[in-house]
Amino acid sequence: MRTVYFTDGTAEGFFSAVFDAYGDKGAFLTSSDAFQAALDDSFVRVPPSPEKAARVVKKLEALDRGCLWEIDCILRTPEADREQAAFLYIRLLTEHKGPVRGMLSRPEVRRARELAERVGQERHRLTGFLRFRETADGVFYAPCTPDNDVVELLMPHFAARFKTFPFVIHDLKRKLAGLCDGRNWTVVPAPEAELVLSENEDEFEALWKKYYRTVNIPSRRNIRQMKGYMPVRYWKFLPEKQDDSP
Amino acid sequence: MERKWYDKGEKTAREERGAGEGAMIDEERLKILTDGAKYDVSCSSSGSGRKNTRDGLGNASMAGICHSFTQDGRCISLLKMLMSNDCVFDCVYCPNRRSADVPRASVSPEEMCELVTGFYRRNYIEGLFLSSAVLKSPDYTMELLLETIRKLRTEYRFNGYIHLKGIPHADRALTERAAAYADRMSYNVELPSERSLRLLAPQKTKESVFAPMRQLAEEKREFALEYKRRTGKEEGRGRGKFLPAGQTTQMIVGASPETDGQILRLTQFMYRKYDLKRVYYSSYVPVVRDPLLPDVQAGLLREHRLYQADWLLRFYGFSCEEIVAEDGNLSPEYDPKCAWALRNPQFFPVEVNRAGVEELLRVPGIGAKGAYKIVAARRYAALTFEDLAKMRIVLKRAKHFITCGGKFCGAKTLERARGELILAERADGARQLSLFDGAEPLTLAASPEEKQFLLKSSPEAARAALTGQF
Ligand code: SF4
Repeated sequence: MRTVYFTDGTAEGFFSAVFDAYGDKGAFLTSSDAFQAALDDSFVRVPPSPEKAARVVKKLEALDRGCLWEIDCILRTPEADREQAAFLYIRLLTEHKGPVRGMLSRPEVRRARELAERVGQERHRLTGFLRFRETADGVFYAPCTPDNDVVELLMPHFAARFKTFPFVIHDLKRKLAGLCDGRNWTVVPAPEAELVLSENEDEFEALWKKYYRTVNIPSRRNIRQMKGYMPVRYWKFLPEKQDDSP
Repeated sequence: MERKWYDKGEKTAREERGAGEGAMIDEERLKILTDGAKYDVSCSSSGSGRKNTRDGLGNASMAGICHSFTQDGRCISLLKMLMSNDCVFDCVYCPNRRSADVPRASVSPEEMCELVTGFYRRNYIEGLFLSSAVLKSPDYTMELLLETIRKLRTEYRFNGYIHLKGIPHADRALTERAAAYADRMSYNVELPSERSLRLLAPQKTKESVFAPMRQLAEEKREFALEYKRRTGKEEGRGRGKFLPAGQTTQMIVGASPETDGQILRLTQFMYRKYDLKRVYYSSYVPVVRDPLLPDVQAGLLREHRLYQADWLLRFYGFSCEEIVAEDGNLSPEYDPKCAWALRNPQFFPVEVNRAGVEELLRVPGIGAKGAYKIVAARRYAALTFEDLAKMRIVLKRAKHFITCGGKFCGAKTLERARGELILAERADGARQLSLFDGAEPLTLAASPEEKQFLLKSSPEAARAALTGQF
């Protein structure tokens, strides 16, 4: 028989559930309503508890410093099994009393790494594919619809680069936005944004599109490779791809 | 008026500068100057860890970042442009040569700075790849380039990536000063032999390219020594002030008759002698018709094979002599590592559960990442073929060259293996992503732990596989 531990979807909620479920061999952790329940499942709803979460985090930190980053990434995926994948990974780690990421013949490790790498890859891609537009009041605004919840992971990258003007990274799917005033940044709920663009914006976009078209070498056309590196789902906010059909 | 969240009560940089006041380049000139620069295939922004300053714009990312991809599948990372296409030299293969009848254009340093910073704030680019035709004279041009990147760094406080392509024959003091602002510099060899150079690029000599390369390599070494004397520490990779991303060069392949063997020998020579970070190969594209030049585009397969061979030199501990004979060419049928393995069956099969990293790296089909995975996983349990498959190690090629716990599942004879490898290559051929100039996938792939691990546990070859250095 298995016990399903429902969490509220936050990292704190997850770590609290790890605390409660750790000794339970038949535990299944999820925050998704969409998971498949079995007839003889029993259910527990786990409220987030800062104390429990802190104890789990402290323990994990002592066992393997790198694992917290991986778990953070795993929980940012939209996969229905993300909590369970992270939980199984943690369990192996604590049983082994140390890092297990090299144990690739274990399915728990493969799944955990696959999910973590997916988030790392999307974060990396978006450091390149995000496009900012300058608004009339000098804020640089970048919309996106990432597969994973990566805005928070992108903010430090851009905050280090952009120190002389404010900027916004807006996840339109999750309706949240990272705001940075040039010094400090934060992530807040943000349903939608109204944009009044600066007068320079069209000119820069036109120059960029011209550049994109010109730098291509037509006799070496290789659309397949282009799409392999830059999947079509990221084209939506690229000015240079607005005239191209996928 | 209500104060907005971003309003610190200070002026933004744009307001300080005055919106729209800076000189802007027009689309027409941008087109001409981009057209003239695009046959330089390098667009990489990796190798430098330059940090932003307190009130500056931008930084550099060690692994490099691609911001877009062109229809030909290449990464766009840097804004690649000429200062001018108005050339006093007359290289036969070049559309900008003096005798060509083409529209000419130039930009001013201010226009270039406005464009770069405007693009950078919008996250279109990682930085600038700046080069130029020889306008008036080599020194005049080099001064113009120097002035541009000086302005960009000091007045525009730009700390993103700058790759400067130097002008051969320019004064060495200019070269040295430019190196203080750039992350990477390159002097293009262009043609793989002195003879071809004389024929096709009459104003350039091998020495005019090697002299600044040598100068920069020496200055970089001196800088590192000096740094060590002063601080007692190794110059941090990328953190050193002097050309953190080193030097690169480019050769045009297929415009002249040199063999792959000659090209790779020259490549190896430059890696060893001048510490180059990368040699780029550019398949000749006929933009100019001339009796001295072939009419047809050089095959992309040849370029691809050269890049594969180059990777073996840089990352896998191979020497040029092992890969191809001086008067020989690379096999079109299989990749150079396969070809080497088939010529050297005495080294195989290797036992996956025991072989050293260096041996694993020499197995066709196993790359640096695969070798890492194997070494990491086998510490916990002996690996079987199923384990390898689950770890997503592609066995199509490797299976002919390895055993797993003594078991072998490759072809029975060398002849059969050869046949299967050719088929594997054909099946992949069309799909294979070229090594052309992506985001340096190796550095990207390795997590900090993987790097640490490989650096600690293995010899030179694995070190090279991760750091990208020779
Ligand atoms: S120096 Fe030669 S290759 Fe360079 S722009 Fe002038 S003609 Fe072209």
